[in-house]
Amino acid sequence: MSDYIPFEQIPFGSESFADNPEPRCPCVLLLDTSGSMSGVPIQQLNEGIATFKNELLSDPLATKRVEVAIVTFGPARLESDFHTVSNFFPNQLTASGDTPMGEAITMGIGLVTKRKQDYKNAGIAYYKPWIILITDGSPTDSWRGAAAQVKEGEAGKKFAFFAIGVESANFEILKEISVRDPLKLKGLMFREFFTWLSASMKMVSSKNPGSNINLLPPSGWSDL
Amino acid sequence: MTWRAIGQRAIGTAHVQSGKVCEDALAFQRVTSPDGDVLIACASDGAGSALFAAEASQLVTEKTVKVLCNYAKDAYVVRDVDIIMLAEELYDELNRRAALVNCALNEFSCTFLGCYIQNHQAIFFQIGDGAIVREDGHGSFTPVWWPHNGEYSNTTTFLVDDPSFPNLRITTLDQDIREVAIFTDGLQNLILNTEAVSVHQPFFGALFPWLRKSKTDEEIQILQQKLGEYLSGSLINSRTDDDKTLFLATRNFE
Repeated sequence: MSDYIPFEQIPFGSESFADNPEPRCPCVLLLDTSGSMSGVPIQQLNEGIATFKNELLSDPLATKRVEVAIVTFGPARLESDFHTVSNFFPNQLTASGDTPMGEAITMGIGLVTKRKQDYKNAGIAYYKPWIILITDGSPTDSWRGAAAQVKEGEAGKKFAFFAIGVESANFEILKEISVRDPLKLKGLMFREFFTWLSASMKMVSSKNPGSNINLLPPSGWSDL
Repeated sequence: MTWRAIGQRAIGTAHVQSGKVCEDALAFQRVTSPDGDVLIACASDGAGSALFAAEASQLVTEKTVKVLCNYAKDAYVVRDVDIIMLAEELYDELNRRAALVNCALNEFSCTFLGCYIQNHQAIFFQIGDGAIVREDGHGSFTPVWWPHNGEYSNTTTFLVDDPSFPNLRITTLDQDIREVAIFTDGLQNLILNTEAVSVHQPFFGALFPWLRKSKTDEEIQILQQKLGEYLSGSLINSRTDDDKTLFLATRNFE
Protein backbone atom coordinates (compact mmCIF):
# COMPACT_ATOMS: atom_id res chain seq x y z
CA MET A 1 0.00 0.00 0.00
CA SER A 2 1.48 3.31 -1.06
CA ASP A 3 -0.32 5.35 1.55
CA TYR A 4 0.94 3.21 4.36
CA ILE A 5 1.33 5.04 7.67
CA PRO A 6 3.17 3.32 10.47
CA PHE A 7 0.60 2.34 13.09
CA GLU A 8 2.61 4.07 15.78
CA GLN A 9 1.79 7.41 14.11
CA ILE A 10 -1.90 7.13 13.32
CA PRO A 11 -4.36 9.58 14.91
CA PHE A 12 -6.35 6.92 16.75
CA GLY A 13 -9.46 8.17 18.49
CA SER A 14 -12.08 10.77 17.75
CA GLU A 15 -12.00 14.37 18.85
CA SER A 16 -15.64 14.59 17.92
CA PHE A 17 -18.17 13.66 20.58
CA ALA A 18 -21.92 13.66 20.80
CA ASP A 19 -23.07 17.17 21.62
CA ASN A 20 -25.45 16.38 24.44
CA PRO A 21 -26.61 18.88 26.99
CA GLU A 22 -24.81 18.06 30.22
CA PRO A 23 -26.98 16.31 32.74
CA ARG A 24 -27.93 18.83 35.40
CA CYS A 25 -27.69 18.55 39.12
CA PRO A 26 -30.07 21.01 40.76
CA CYS A 27 -29.12 22.19 44.20
CA VAL A 28 -31.20 24.47 46.42
CA LEU A 29 -29.61 26.22 49.36
CA LEU A 30 -32.06 27.17 52.08
CA LEU A 31 -30.16 29.76 54.07
CA ASP A 32 -31.02 31.14 57.45
CA THR A 33 -30.61 34.92 57.31
CA SER A 34 -32.57 35.69 60.46
CA GLY A 35 -31.47 38.34 62.93
CA SER A 36 -29.41 35.88 64.97
CA MET A 37 -27.14 35.39 61.96
CA SER A 38 -26.09 39.02 61.93
CA GLY A 39 -22.47 39.93 62.38
CA VAL A 40 -19.80 37.27 61.93
CA PRO A 41 -22.14 34.34 61.06
CA ILE A 42 -23.72 36.08 58.03
CA GLN A 43 -20.29 37.22 56.94
CA GLN A 44 -19.01 33.67 57.15
CA LEU A 45 -22.08 32.41 55.33
CA ASN A 46 -21.44 34.89 52.50
CA GLU A 47 -17.83 33.79 52.35
CA GLY A 48 -19.00 30.19 52.41
CA ILE A 49 -21.25 30.74 49.39
CA ALA A 50 -18.39 32.38 47.51
CA THR A 51 -16.19 29.42 48.42
CA PHE A 52 -18.96 27.09 47.27
CA LYS A 53 -19.05 28.82 43.88
CA ASN A 54 -15.27 28.86 43.52
CA GLU A 55 -14.91 25.23 44.50
CA LEU A 56 -17.54 24.25 41.93
CA LEU A 57 -15.87 26.42 39.29
CA SER A 58 -12.60 24.56 39.84
CA ASP A 59 -14.30 21.35 38.72
CA PRO A 60 -15.04 21.47 34.98
CA LEU A 61 -17.86 18.94 35.14
CA ALA A 62 -19.50 20.45 38.20
CA THR A 63 -19.31 23.84 36.50
CA LYS A 64 -21.38 22.51 33.64
CA ARG A 65 -23.72 20.33 35.64
CA VAL A 66 -24.56 21.89 38.95
CA GLU A 67 -27.34 24.47 39.06
CA VAL A 68 -27.74 26.48 42.23
CA ALA A 69 -30.77 28.29 43.59
CA ILE A 70 -30.94 30.14 46.88
CA VAL A 71 -33.88 30.67 49.21
CA THR A 72 -33.22 32.84 52.24
CA PHE A 73 -35.36 32.98 55.32
CA GLY A 74 -36.26 35.70 57.43
CA PRO A 75 -38.45 36.34 55.62
CA ALA A 76 -38.64 33.40 53.16
CA ARG A 77 -37.85 34.63 49.67
CA LEU A 78 -36.33 33.37 46.44
CA GLU A 79 -32.97 35.08 46.51
CA SER A 80 -31.67 33.52 43.29
CA ASP A 81 -33.38 31.10 40.88
CA PHE A 82 -31.50 28.17 39.29
CA HIS A 83 -28.31 29.11 37.47
CA THR A 84 -25.35 27.07 36.34
CA VAL A 85 -22.31 27.86 38.43
CA SER A 86 -20.71 30.26 35.98
CA ASN A 87 -23.93 32.30 35.85
CA PHE A 88 -24.43 32.18 39.57
CA PHE A 89 -23.63 35.57 41.12
CA PRO A 90 -24.84 35.53 44.70
CA ASN A 91 -25.64 38.84 46.35
CA GLN A 92 -24.24 39.63 49.75
CA LEU A 93 -26.83 38.41 52.21
CA THR A 94 -27.86 40.49 55.16
CA ALA A 95 -29.40 39.19 58.36
CA SER A 96 -32.73 40.37 59.71
CA GLY A 97 -36.14 39.11 60.80
CA ASP A 98 -37.31 35.83 62.24
CA THR A 99 -36.76 32.21 61.09
CA PRO A 100 -39.65 30.96 58.88
CA MET A 101 -37.87 27.70 58.13
CA GLY A 102 -41.03 25.77 57.27
CA GLU A 103 -42.04 28.23 54.56
CA ALA A 104 -38.51 28.17 53.11
CA ILE A 105 -38.47 24.36 52.94
CA THR A 106 -41.85 24.30 51.15
CA MET A 107 -40.53 26.89 48.71
CA GLY A 108 -37.37 24.83 48.09
CA ILE A 109 -39.35 21.67 47.38
CA GLY A 110 -41.55 23.62 44.94
CA LEU A 111 -38.44 24.87 43.16
CA VAL A 112 -36.93 21.43 42.53
CA THR A 113 -40.26 20.00 41.43
CA LYS A 114 -40.66 22.73 38.83
CA ARG A 115 -37.03 22.45 37.74
CA LYS A 116 -37.32 18.72 37.07
CA GLN A 117 -40.33 19.39 34.87
CA ASP A 118 -38.30 22.00 32.96
CA TYR A 119 -35.54 19.42 32.37
CA LYS A 120 -38.03 16.83 31.20
CA ASN A 121 -39.62 19.29 28.78
CA ALA A 122 -36.19 20.18 27.37
CA GLY A 123 -34.97 16.56 27.16
CA ILE A 124 -32.14 17.17 29.60
CA ALA A 125 -30.98 14.35 31.83
CA TYR A 126 -30.62 15.17 35.49
CA TYR A 127 -29.40 13.97 38.81
CA LYS A 128 -31.38 13.74 41.98
CA PRO A 129 -31.90 17.28 43.28
CA TRP A 130 -30.32 18.30 46.54
CA ILE A 131 -31.95 20.56 49.07
CA ILE A 132 -29.53 21.81 51.67
CA LEU A 133 -30.79 23.62 54.72
CA ILE A 134 -28.29 25.68 56.68
CA THR A 135 -29.45 27.26 59.92
CA ASP A 136 -28.19 28.52 63.24
CA GLY A 137 -31.52 28.60 65.03
CA SER A 138 -35.04 27.27 65.47
CA PRO A 139 -38.01 27.72 63.13
CA THR A 140 -40.37 30.52 64.13
CA ASP A 141 -43.19 29.32 61.89
CA SER A 142 -45.12 26.06 61.75
CA TRP A 143 -42.65 23.57 60.32
CA ARG A 144 -44.49 20.25 60.70
CA GLY A 145 -46.13 20.49 57.26
CA ALA A 146 -42.73 21.10 55.70
CA ALA A 147 -41.27 18.17 57.64
CA ALA A 148 -44.02 15.92 56.24
CA GLN A 149 -43.22 17.14 52.70
CA VAL A 150 -39.55 16.32 53.24
CA LYS A 151 -40.40 12.81 54.42
CA GLU A 152 -42.74 12.24 51.49
CA GLY A 153 -40.19 13.55 48.97
CA GLU A 154 -37.40 11.44 50.40
CA ALA A 155 -39.60 8.33 50.37
CA GLY A 156 -40.45 8.97 46.72
CA LYS A 157 -36.78 9.63 45.89
CA LYS A 158 -37.79 13.06 44.60
CA PHE A 159 -34.85 14.82 46.21
CA ALA A 160 -32.21 14.43 48.87
CA PHE A 161 -32.62 16.73 51.85
CA PHE A 162 -29.71 17.61 54.11
CA ALA A 163 -29.88 19.73 57.23
CA ILE A 164 -26.69 21.41 58.30
CA GLY A 165 -26.61 23.11 61.67
CA VAL A 166 -24.27 25.91 62.51
CA GLU A 167 -23.24 26.40 66.12
CA SER A 168 -26.44 27.08 68.12
CA ALA A 169 -28.89 25.42 65.70
CA ASN A 170 -31.80 23.49 67.21
CA PHE A 171 -30.71 19.98 66.32
CA GLU A 172 -33.77 18.44 67.97
CA ILE A 173 -36.12 20.08 65.47
CA LEU A 174 -33.71 19.51 62.57
CA LYS A 175 -33.85 15.81 63.41
CA GLU A 176 -37.62 15.90 63.08
CA ILE A 177 -37.47 17.69 59.74
CA SER A 178 -34.69 15.79 58.02
CA VAL A 179 -34.89 12.06 57.34
CA ARG A 180 -31.10 11.98 57.47
CA ASP A 181 -29.39 12.97 60.68
CA PRO A 182 -28.61 16.68 60.67
CA LEU A 183 -24.94 17.45 60.59
CA LYS A 184 -22.93 20.06 62.36
CA LEU A 185 -20.74 21.98 60.00
CA LYS A 186 -17.05 22.26 60.75
CA GLY A 187 -15.92 25.55 59.29
CA LEU A 188 -17.36 25.91 55.78
CA MET A 189 -15.82 22.99 53.95
CA PHE A 190 -18.02 23.03 50.89
CA ARG A 191 -15.59 21.28 48.59
CA GLU A 192 -15.52 18.24 50.84
CA PHE A 193 -19.25 18.57 51.27
CA PHE A 194 -19.80 18.57 47.50
CA THR A 195 -17.50 15.63 46.87
CA TRP A 196 -19.27 13.72 49.58
CA LEU A 197 -22.71 14.52 48.18
CA SER A 198 -21.92 13.59 44.60
CA ALA A 199 -20.28 10.33 45.58
CA SER A 200 -23.17 9.51 47.89
CA MET A 201 -25.70 10.12 45.15
CA LYS A 202 -24.45 7.20 43.15
CA MET A 203 -26.60 5.10 45.33
CA VAL A 204 -27.41 1.53 44.78
CA SER A 205 -30.81 0.92 43.33
CA SER A 206 -33.41 0.70 46.03
CA LYS A 207 -34.78 -2.40 44.38
CA ASN A 208 -31.87 -4.43 45.72
CA PRO A 209 -32.89 -7.05 48.21
CA GLY A 210 -32.21 -5.85 51.73
CA SER A 211 -30.77 -2.61 50.50
CA ASN A 212 -30.49 0.70 52.24
CA ILE A 213 -29.21 3.95 50.87
CA ASN A 214 -25.46 4.10 51.26
CA LEU A 215 -24.06 7.45 52.21
CA LEU A 216 -20.38 7.93 52.64
CA PRO A 217 -19.26 9.03 56.08
CA PRO A 218 -19.25 12.86 56.12
CA SER A 219 -15.61 12.92 57.02
CA GLY A 220 -13.68 16.14 57.19
CA TRP A 221 -16.40 18.76 57.04
CA SER A 222 -18.63 17.75 59.90
CA ASP A 223 -18.55 17.48 63.66
CA LEU A 224 -21.02 14.68 64.07
CA MET B 1 -11.58 -13.19 7.77
CA THR B 2 -11.20 -13.57 11.46
CA TRP B 3 -12.15 -11.16 14.22
CA ARG B 4 -9.77 -8.42 15.21
CA ALA B 5 -10.63 -7.08 18.64
CA ILE B 6 -9.27 -4.53 21.07
CA GLY B 7 -10.64 -3.31 24.36
CA GLN B 8 -9.54 -1.22 27.30
CA ARG B 9 -10.89 0.24 30.49
CA ALA B 10 -9.64 3.41 32.17
CA ILE B 11 -10.18 4.82 35.62
CA GLY B 12 -12.27 8.00 35.89
CA THR B 13 -10.82 11.19 37.34
CA ALA B 14 -13.50 11.19 40.05
CA HIS B 15 -12.34 7.73 41.12
CA VAL B 16 -8.72 8.86 41.14
CA GLN B 17 -9.68 11.82 43.33
CA SER B 18 -11.55 9.71 45.83
CA GLY B 19 -8.75 7.13 45.91
CA LYS B 20 -10.86 4.38 44.36
CA VAL B 21 -9.78 1.80 41.82
CA CYS B 22 -11.29 1.36 38.35
CA GLU B 23 -14.57 -0.44 38.89
CA ASP B 24 -15.24 -1.21 35.24
CA ALA B 25 -14.16 -4.58 33.94
CA LEU B 26 -13.87 -6.07 30.47
CA ALA B 27 -13.09 -9.55 29.18
CA PHE B 28 -13.11 -10.77 25.61
CA GLN B 29 -11.99 -13.80 23.65
CA ARG B 30 -11.98 -15.11 20.13
CA VAL B 31 -12.64 -18.83 19.98
CA THR B 32 -12.02 -21.07 17.00
CA SER B 33 -14.86 -23.53 16.57
CA PRO B 34 -15.67 -26.16 13.94
CA ASP B 35 -18.09 -23.61 12.43
CA GLY B 36 -15.68 -20.73 12.36
CA ASP B 37 -14.66 -18.06 14.79
CA VAL B 38 -16.83 -16.99 17.69
CA LEU B 39 -16.40 -13.57 19.26
CA ILE B 40 -17.19 -13.30 22.97
CA ALA B 41 -17.10 -10.11 25.01
CA CYS B 42 -18.45 -8.94 28.33
CA ALA B 43 -18.22 -5.55 30.03
CA SER B 44 -19.43 -4.57 33.48
CA ASP B 45 -19.61 -1.31 35.39
CA GLY B 46 -19.44 -1.70 39.16
CA ALA B 47 -21.82 0.66 40.97
CA GLY B 48 -20.06 3.69 42.40
CA SER B 49 -21.68 3.24 45.77
CA ALA B 50 -21.06 -0.49 46.08
CA LEU B 51 -18.22 -1.56 48.37
CA PHE B 52 -17.18 -4.51 46.20
CA ALA B 53 -17.95 -2.97 42.80
CA ALA B 54 -14.56 -3.80 41.31
CA GLU B 55 -14.65 -7.41 42.48
CA ALA B 56 -18.19 -7.82 41.18
CA SER B 57 -17.50 -6.47 37.71
CA GLN B 58 -14.32 -8.51 37.44
CA LEU B 59 -16.06 -11.71 38.49
CA VAL B 60 -18.97 -11.14 36.11
CA THR B 61 -16.84 -10.47 33.05
CA GLU B 62 -14.36 -13.30 33.66
CA LYS B 63 -16.97 -15.91 34.43
CA THR B 64 -19.18 -14.88 31.51
CA VAL B 65 -16.36 -15.19 29.01
CA LYS B 66 -15.28 -18.51 30.52
CA VAL B 67 -18.77 -20.00 30.29
CA LEU B 68 -19.35 -18.70 26.77
CA CYS B 69 -15.94 -19.93 25.61
CA ASN B 70 -16.93 -23.46 26.60
CA TYR B 71 -20.07 -23.13 24.48
CA ALA B 72 -18.09 -21.72 21.57
CA LYS B 73 -15.59 -24.58 21.40
CA ASP B 74 -18.44 -26.90 20.40
CA ALA B 75 -19.94 -24.29 18.03
CA TYR B 76 -22.98 -24.33 20.32
CA VAL B 77 -25.71 -21.87 19.41
CA VAL B 78 -26.33 -19.91 22.61
CA ARG B 79 -30.01 -19.22 23.27
CA ASP B 80 -31.89 -16.89 25.62
CA VAL B 81 -32.22 -19.63 28.23
CA ASP B 82 -28.45 -20.09 28.35
CA ILE B 83 -27.96 -16.40 29.05
CA ILE B 84 -30.60 -16.49 31.78
CA MET B 85 -28.86 -19.51 33.33
CA LEU B 86 -25.57 -17.66 33.11
CA ALA B 87 -27.09 -14.64 34.84
CA GLU B 88 -28.43 -16.95 37.57
CA GLU B 89 -24.99 -18.46 38.07
CA LEU B 90 -23.48 -14.99 38.32
CA TYR B 91 -26.17 -13.92 40.78
CA ASP B 92 -25.55 -16.98 42.95
CA GLU B 93 -21.81 -16.47 42.87
CA LEU B 94 -22.12 -12.80 43.86
CA ASN B 95 -24.52 -13.83 46.60
CA ARG B 96 -21.97 -16.34 47.92
CA ARG B 97 -19.26 -13.68 47.89
CA ALA B 98 -21.52 -11.26 49.75
CA ALA B 99 -22.29 -13.88 52.39
CA LEU B 100 -18.58 -14.64 52.71
CA VAL B 101 -17.73 -11.05 53.58
CA ASN B 102 -20.98 -10.61 55.53
CA CYS B 103 -22.22 -7.81 53.30
CA ALA B 104 -25.50 -6.85 51.67
CA LEU B 105 -25.75 -8.20 48.12
CA ASN B 106 -26.04 -4.68 46.70
CA GLU B 107 -22.40 -4.08 47.70
CA PHE B 108 -21.74 -6.28 44.64
CA SER B 109 -23.90 -4.24 42.25
CA CYS B 110 -22.68 -4.08 38.67
CA THR B 111 -24.07 -3.89 35.15
CA PHE B 112 -23.84 -6.71 32.62
CA LEU B 113 -23.29 -6.25 28.87
CA GLY B 114 -22.08 -8.74 26.34
CA CYS B 115 -22.22 -10.56 23.06
CA TYR B 116 -21.63 -13.99 21.55
CA ILE B 117 -21.22 -13.64 17.80
CA GLN B 118 -21.06 -16.58 15.42
CA ASN B 119 -20.91 -16.55 11.65
CA HIS B 120 -24.57 -16.11 10.84
CA GLN B 121 -26.08 -15.23 14.15
CA ALA B 122 -25.35 -13.32 17.27
CA ILE B 123 -26.83 -13.04 20.73
CA PHE B 124 -26.58 -9.86 22.82
CA PHE B 125 -27.46 -9.35 26.47
CA GLN B 126 -27.59 -6.43 28.85
CA ILE B 127 -28.62 -5.36 32.36
CA GLY B 128 -28.25 -1.69 33.26
CA ASP B 129 -26.64 1.21 31.45
CA GLY B 130 -23.86 1.36 28.89
CA ALA B 131 -24.51 0.16 25.34
CA ILE B 132 -23.71 -2.38 22.68
CA VAL B 133 -23.45 -0.92 19.21
CA ARG B 134 -23.28 -2.85 15.94
CA GLU B 135 -22.54 -1.98 12.38
CA ASP B 136 -25.84 -2.22 10.49
CA GLY B 137 -24.47 -3.67 7.23
CA HIS B 138 -24.38 -0.27 5.54
CA GLY B 139 -21.42 1.24 7.34
CA SER B 140 -23.34 2.95 10.06
CA PHE B 141 -23.56 2.12 13.77
CA THR B 142 -26.73 1.46 15.67
CA PRO B 143 -27.33 0.52 19.32
CA VAL B 144 -28.72 -2.91 20.04
CA TRP B 145 -30.68 -1.23 22.86
CA TRP B 146 -30.93 2.30 24.06
CA PRO B 147 -29.33 2.44 27.52
CA HIS B 148 -31.53 1.87 30.51
CA ASN B 149 -31.21 4.68 33.01
CA GLY B 150 -33.64 5.47 35.77
CA GLU B 151 -35.18 8.88 36.29
CA TYR B 152 -31.82 10.21 37.35
CA SER B 153 -28.64 10.15 35.27
CA ASN B 154 -26.73 8.22 37.88
CA THR B 155 -29.25 5.51 38.61
CA THR B 156 -29.63 2.29 36.70
CA THR B 157 -30.34 -1.39 37.20
CA PHE B 158 -27.85 -4.04 38.25
CA LEU B 159 -27.38 -7.77 37.94
CA VAL B 160 -28.01 -8.37 41.66
CA ASP B 161 -31.21 -6.28 41.76
CA ASP B 162 -33.58 -9.19 41.34
CA PRO B 163 -32.95 -12.93 40.78
CA SER B 164 -35.81 -13.09 38.28
CA PHE B 165 -33.96 -10.55 36.09
CA PRO B 166 -36.84 -8.31 34.98
CA ASN B 167 -34.25 -5.93 33.49
CA LEU B 168 -32.25 -8.50 31.55
CA ARG B 169 -32.50 -7.83 27.84
CA ILE B 170 -31.53 -10.53 25.37
CA THR B 171 -31.81 -10.53 21.61
CA THR B 172 -30.68 -12.84 18.84
CA LEU B 173 -29.94 -11.46 15.38
CA ASP B 174 -29.70 -13.88 12.46
CA GLN B 175 -27.13 -11.78 10.66
CA ASP B 176 -23.46 -11.63 9.86
CA ILE B 177 -22.39 -9.00 12.34
CA ARG B 178 -19.28 -7.34 10.89
CA GLU B 179 -18.47 -4.89 13.63
CA VAL B 180 -19.44 -4.44 17.22
CA ALA B 181 -18.57 -2.05 20.02
CA ILE B 182 -19.41 -2.23 23.71
CA PHE B 183 -19.01 0.65 26.12
CA THR B 184 -19.93 1.45 29.70
CA ASP B 185 -21.85 4.39 31.10
CA GLY B 186 -18.73 6.60 31.31
CA LEU B 187 -18.71 6.99 27.51
CA GLN B 188 -22.45 7.06 26.97
CA ASN B 189 -22.79 10.83 26.81
CA LEU B 190 -19.88 11.08 24.36
CA ILE B 191 -21.07 8.42 21.92
CA LEU B 192 -24.85 8.61 22.01
CA ASN B 193 -26.90 11.63 20.96
CA THR B 194 -29.69 11.68 23.50
CA GLU B 195 -31.86 14.11 21.60
CA ALA B 196 -31.69 12.25 18.27
CA VAL B 197 -31.56 8.84 20.00
CA SER B 198 -28.70 7.79 17.74
CA VAL B 199 -25.02 6.96 17.69
CA HIS B 200 -22.60 9.83 17.11
CA GLN B 201 -21.05 8.22 14.00
CA PRO B 202 -17.79 10.24 13.86
CA PHE B 203 -16.76 8.72 17.17
CA PHE B 204 -16.36 5.30 15.60
CA GLY B 205 -15.24 6.80 12.29
CA ALA B 206 -11.94 7.67 13.96
CA LEU B 207 -11.48 4.21 15.44
CA PHE B 208 -12.80 1.37 13.30
CA PRO B 209 -11.01 2.23 10.00
CA TRP B 210 -7.66 1.63 11.71
CA LEU B 211 -8.75 -1.63 13.22
CA ARG B 212 -9.96 -2.73 9.76
CA LYS B 213 -6.56 -1.85 8.30
CA SER B 214 -4.58 -3.72 10.92
CA LYS B 215 -3.06 -6.86 9.50
CA THR B 216 -0.70 -8.21 12.08
CA ASP B 217 -0.90 -9.01 15.77
CA GLU B 218 1.72 -6.35 16.28
CA GLU B 219 -0.49 -3.70 14.67
CA ILE B 220 -3.47 -4.79 16.75
CA GLN B 221 -1.27 -4.57 19.81
CA ILE B 222 -0.35 -0.99 18.92
CA LEU B 223 -4.03 -0.10 18.56
CA GLN B 224 -4.76 -1.80 21.84
CA GLN B 225 -2.21 0.44 23.51
CA LYS B 226 -3.44 3.55 21.69
CA LEU B 227 -6.98 2.82 22.81
CA GLY B 228 -5.80 2.79 26.42
CA GLU B 229 -4.03 6.12 25.95
CA TYR B 230 -7.10 7.59 24.27
CA LEU B 231 -9.43 6.54 27.08
CA SER B 232 -7.07 7.90 29.73
CA GLY B 233 -6.34 11.10 27.81
CA SER B 234 -7.43 14.64 28.63
CA LEU B 235 -9.79 14.79 25.64
CA ILE B 236 -12.01 12.12 27.13
CA ASN B 237 -11.41 13.13 30.74
CA SER B 238 -12.62 16.66 30.07
CA ARG B 239 -15.98 15.16 29.15
CA THR B 240 -16.43 12.43 31.73
CA ASP B 241 -15.10 11.81 35.22
CA ASP B 242 -16.40 8.25 35.38
CA ASP B 243 -14.63 4.96 34.72
CA LYS B 244 -14.97 4.02 31.07
CA THR B 245 -14.60 0.90 28.99
CA LEU B 246 -14.53 0.52 25.24
CA PHE B 247 -14.42 -2.70 23.25
CA LEU B 248 -14.16 -2.77 19.45
CA ALA B 249 -14.17 -5.74 17.07
CA THR B 250 -14.26 -6.05 13.29
CA ARG B 251 -14.25 -8.77 10.63
CA ASN B 252 -14.98 -9.13 6.92
CA PHE B 253 -15.21 -5.40 6.40
CA GLU B 254 -14.09 -4.53 2.89
